[in-house]
Amino acid sequence: MRSSSKYVLVLLSLLLVFGAVSAQETPVPGGTAIIVLGSDPEHLNPGISTSYPLGAVSANVFSGLVRQRADGAPEGDLAESWTVSDDNMVYTFTLREANFHDGTPVTSADVVYSMVEILAPNHGRFITAFNQIASVEAPDPRTVVITLKQPYAPLISLLTAFDAPVLPKHLYEGTDPLTNPVNNEPVGSGPFTFANWVRGERIEIVRNDDYFLEPALLDRIIYRTVPQDVARSTALEVGEADLVWGFYLPPADLPRLEANPDLQVWRGITIPALYFVFINNETPGLDNVLVRQALMHAIDREQIVEQAQGGLGQAGSGPFGAGFAFAHSDDTDYRTLYPYDPDRARELLAEAGVSDLELRFVYDSARGAFASAGEIMRDQLGQVGITLRLEPVERAVMVERVYNGDYDLSMQSFTSSGDPAIGYHRIYLSAARGTPFVNATGYANPEVDALLTEAAGLADLEARALVYDQALAILAEDVPTMVMFDELATEAAAATLRGMRTLLDQRDGLEFLWFAQ
Amino acid sequence: MSSGGASGTGEGGGLATYVVRRLVNAVPLVLGVIVVNFVLIALAPGDPVTHLIGEFPAPADYVERVRADYGLDKPLLERLVRYVGNVLQGDLGFSFANRLPVLDLLLQRLGRTLMLMLTTVVLASAVGLTLGVLAARRPHSVGDRAATGFALAGYAIPEFWFGQILILVFAVWLGWFPAGGFRSVRIDYTGWAAVVDYARHMALPVAALSFRYLAITTRLTRASLLEVMNTQYIVAARARGLSERALLWRHALRAAALPVVTVIGYNFAFIVAGSALVETVFGWPGIGRLMYDSIFTRDYPVLLGILLLVSVTVIVVNLLTDVAYAILDPRIRY
Repeated sequence: MRSSSKYVLVLLSLLLVFGAVSAQETPVPGGTAIIVLGSDPEHLNPGISTSYPLGAVSANVFSGLVRQRADGAPEGDLAESWTVSDDNMVYTFTLREANFHDGTPVTSADVVYSMVEILAPNHGRFITAFNQIASVEAPDPRTVVITLKQPYAPLISLLTAFDAPVLPKHLYEGTDPLTNPVNNEPVGSGPFTFANWVRGERIEIVRNDDYFLEPALLDRIIYRTVPQDVARSTALEVGEADLVWGFYLPPADLPRLEANPDLQVWRGITIPALYFVFINNETPGLDNVLVRQALMHAIDREQIVEQAQGGLGQAGSGPFGAGFAFAHSDDTDYRTLYPYDPDRARELLAEAGVSDLELRFVYDSARGAFASAGEIMRDQLGQVGITLRLEPVERAVMVERVYNGDYDLSMQSFTSSGDPAIGYHRIYLSAARGTPFVNATGYANPEVDALLTEAAGLADLEARALVYDQALAILAEDVPTMVMFDELATEAAAATLRGMRTLLDQRDGLEFLWFAQ
Repeated sequence: MSSGGASGTGEGGGLATYVVRRLVNAVPLVLGVIVVNFVLIALAPGDPVTHLIGEFPAPADYVERVRADYGLDKPLLERLVRYVGNVLQGDLGFSFANRLPVLDLLLQRLGRTLMLMLTTVVLASAVGLTLGVLAARRPHSVGDRAATGFALAGYAIPEFWFGQILILVFAVWLGWFPAGGFRSVRIDYTGWAAVVDYARHMALPVAALSFRYLAITTRLTRASLLEVMNTQYIVAARARGLSERALLWRHALRAAALPVVTVIGYNFAFIVAGSALVETVFGWPGIGRLMYDSIFTRDYPVLLGILLLVSVTVIVVNLLTDVAYAILDPRIRY
């Protein structure tokens, strides 16, 4: 009797708990979410730009052929389905019945026009994919056929609303896509329709009831521009904003936001981002591989993660980070190859016959975490006899100096979308000086070039992993650049907001957002 | 001219001629400002094309095409001549970063910055004058020390820092005012409620901007008034038995106002500059923030447009200051 009543109690409480959870987890439609942007987008044409704030708006107004779930798995967006030929050369997409926001149907002609006429000449990341494409064709209004020049594994992850948005041909044909006024009043086919834009203040998008997939839950989203980073945390705290992505949050504010019962803070991995300290391989002294290895031993990367990055990171494990299992090997893990060991660093420097090295650390002055990292490095390098001079410069100046080789060490962060070939290969492939955002170290190794090029063409991940293993071994020995840490992503939101991070990119999939009552 | 009254049309005409002459003289000055700004910006490191393209390795021919699309491949002199020619025809160019005509961008923002600036100038001048007079009436009294101490603090505290403190105290802790923006985003107010909403959003940025100018005006009014109060004609008037109140308001203040007017005019230009930081702190979408953003994106046409606007404002306000001299002080005639 007593024991059975206990069971009843347990059952009852379980029911209560589950009842409460399921009641809480039933999405409620309606409402407005205010999302913070750090700066205004330049315009809203995702076909000619890769800027972060632009993507935050355009990914929810436009559609791509595919979208990526939170785990990276691709699924159909405008494409209902697709097939890949046995030789990995021909991709055939079947489109859904969908309309642009002005009521015009989306057809394969829009897809081909967007790729060939707008994206290929103007979109930096799509250019990389387009160089691998032999042809894009529209045999009928519902079918798109992409034929490659050689197998190119990252193709699917480049066909999203960020890198290959489908733009309305009827509004762009015969105009200059750089200056077309539609760029400021975009017409897409995504879950939200553009409503209005007051520059410097807000961009408003409203639910598209004619959306070809499940319609959005929210009535509208307002993107609010808050230029100062500390003011973004404040906006959340006083209820003037509902969601701020980690890209715009100062890490130092996170503990305070976490302690606030009206807010929720999330930390985790979405799209891998890697932080590097580039080494100018042409600086006298740094051209010696022993000295570069000594730098790796002399710097305590764990401490930099803790103190400069607010703990939001994991000490760098290899040239492509820890985000891609097939491009990582435990045998060449930097954490075991290059532990913090000042004695070993001094030995290597002595072996290289280098002393009294004086290095310039050039970084973007707007990145507070870079300054803190620089101060820690100055201290640690000082202990092995290397003088580090911090040179904070404005971003535009930093880009010009670093990519023209006018630096010794420089901190940088890179992301690689869904594939290391998209964002990280360029850091190691030999390149001429002067092009921004490619190899700035001056490292050139034909063997590495060949291996990375081969890896980018292999759709089979196991075969790819074998090629990467060879490249990893060479890079671990040569240390062309220091890999500091894998960044953990974060975001802070009102405690009642639900449905974030349904898709891979935090900025994407805002149609899944809703407010718990 | 009509208000000249007793002073006659001859002198009013002198003033009009003077104003026209000053305006004509301002043309080469403005041209000089344009040329210097243009060259300085072009010489500064940083490439607008990098920002236009975004953060990825674009092929060299693409970079060159973008450069050509925006006319940045032409020699400096050719670009300068073309720019000056366009400005003379009222065309301030096309913004690289915003893909909009510069004039449209400036006009969108101008009203919002004027809202802040005019309120600041009026408030800082009125309160500053009052505090200065109060301080000068009893030099070295407690009230005087409080006013001068307050002024010293205002002079020493950077406005962007003061703005952040105001947000912390009045928006985060007390919750009396919004933390940023120029109106509520969540609710669209109309009518009287909208006016109240704007005023609530203006309170903190205006306080942050005013503090410094209020301080300068206070100190200057006090110093200038103390000097005048010791002149012989005031001493003579006092000897004739005028009340201190009449002395101060009827005789001293008018004479003491000249340097104060100069400083109010001079402040005007600095408030434009100060607004760049305060507008950024408060997320106020005005000219100052446009300037701040344009520096980071190397948006040359917008920067040049703003600098042109600021220089024209300074010239016009200087002229108005000189005209105000003539009205305040009958001894000054042009």
